[in-house]
Amino acid sequence: MVRFFLGFLVLQALLFGAELTPWAQRWFVVPWTDTLAAISAGIVKVFDPGVMADGKVLQSGSNGFAVSIEAGCNGVEATIVLVAAILAFPAHWKRKLVGLTIGIVAVQGLNIIRVISLFYLGQWSFDAFDFAHQYVWQALIMLDVLIVWLLWVRTLPRAMPAPAAA
Amino acid sequence: MQDASPGRFVLRVAAWLPLAFLVWYLAGPVLAWPIALLTEGVTRLAFSDLIQGVEQQGHLLTIVSTLKPTLATTEQNATGVISVEVNTLLYSFGLPMLAALVLAAREPHPLRTLLLGYAVLAPLVAWGLVAEFLKRVVFDTAPSVAAQTGFGPLQREAIAFAYQFGALILPTVAPAVFWVLTHRRFVEGFRVRNGAGKAS
Repeated sequence: MVRFFLGFLVLQALLFGAELTPWAQRWFVVPWTDTLAAISAGIVKVFDPGVMADGKVLQSGSNGFAVSIEAGCNGVEATIVLVAAILAFPAHWKRKLVGLTIGIVAVQGLNIIRVISLFYLGQWSFDAFDFAHQYVWQALIMLDVLIVWLLWVRTLPRAMPAPAAA
Repeated sequence: MQDASPGRFVLRVAAWLPLAFLVWYLAGPVLAWPIALLTEGVTRLAFSDLIQGVEQQGHLLTIVSTLKPTLATTEQNATGVISVEVNTLLYSFGLPMLAALVLAAREPHPLRTLLLGYAVLAPLVAWGLVAEFLKRVVFDTAPSVAAQTGFGPLQREAIAFAYQFGALILPTVAPAVFWVLTHRRFVEGFRVRNGAGKAS
């Protein structure tokens, strides 16, 4: 467990440090955030055709309300935590790869729900938006990461205790 | 030990979470008091030349600096000092998450675990508050004010990293790590034994 936590902390610090570099921001974080806004707009357009995405901004065509997806809301940090937790945990590489693939989809899927829910919450009440945005959704996304990691850990085999001698 | 049921555990977390958030929000001023003391202690110890004091109003802290505002349009010295208001809730929202996880796990001595969790997480909340104060006086003020801090380029980079880490990673990751460390048997219970079926 100690080895896992040390590995987790080191990996997380490295990945987070890398994320903050201008290169990663330009080639990964900004394009990903724009894609997230586009995906969110694509989903919302099914029932609300006036919504549009412009870069990282999701905007309502009917009332002009817009949300800008900033650092901390694009799911990148949550994904970094999940990646570090899965990579640091002792398991076969094949299982890690499956865990990463399904886990990242699960985290980013919930993050899209976060963006869309905040978009509509903000049009209803800015106080509710503020509370949900600053506190509740941050905790929910990390709970998602933790639960995805726990479920992945559950799929890993562990040795059966040796049978007692008769 | 029986394997834990993930479905029931998630449902229990979801059930505890609204109550935990309500209690955390209402108790904000009380929970912020030790954090205010810690923040004042840390800032006085590490940045004594920059800080006059820390004042608490509910869950908000006002960090009063020694930095003087300057006006670019006049040569007359401005009076007063720069104060930065920081919100303890922004860095402590992991506490209700931790409470929901601890109570949902149904392990022995949950109150003791929660108190220990608060003791462990409070310094990390103070980290976030101090880092935000430094970030705001270094990056969000006029150059003439930021220059009074005397921070060099490397120190400014370190402040930027400490702020980002304190705002984006620590508030959520630290409670999760604390929970896993204090519930190792519970986490082990999630793992299915080799060759054995999943137990409920």
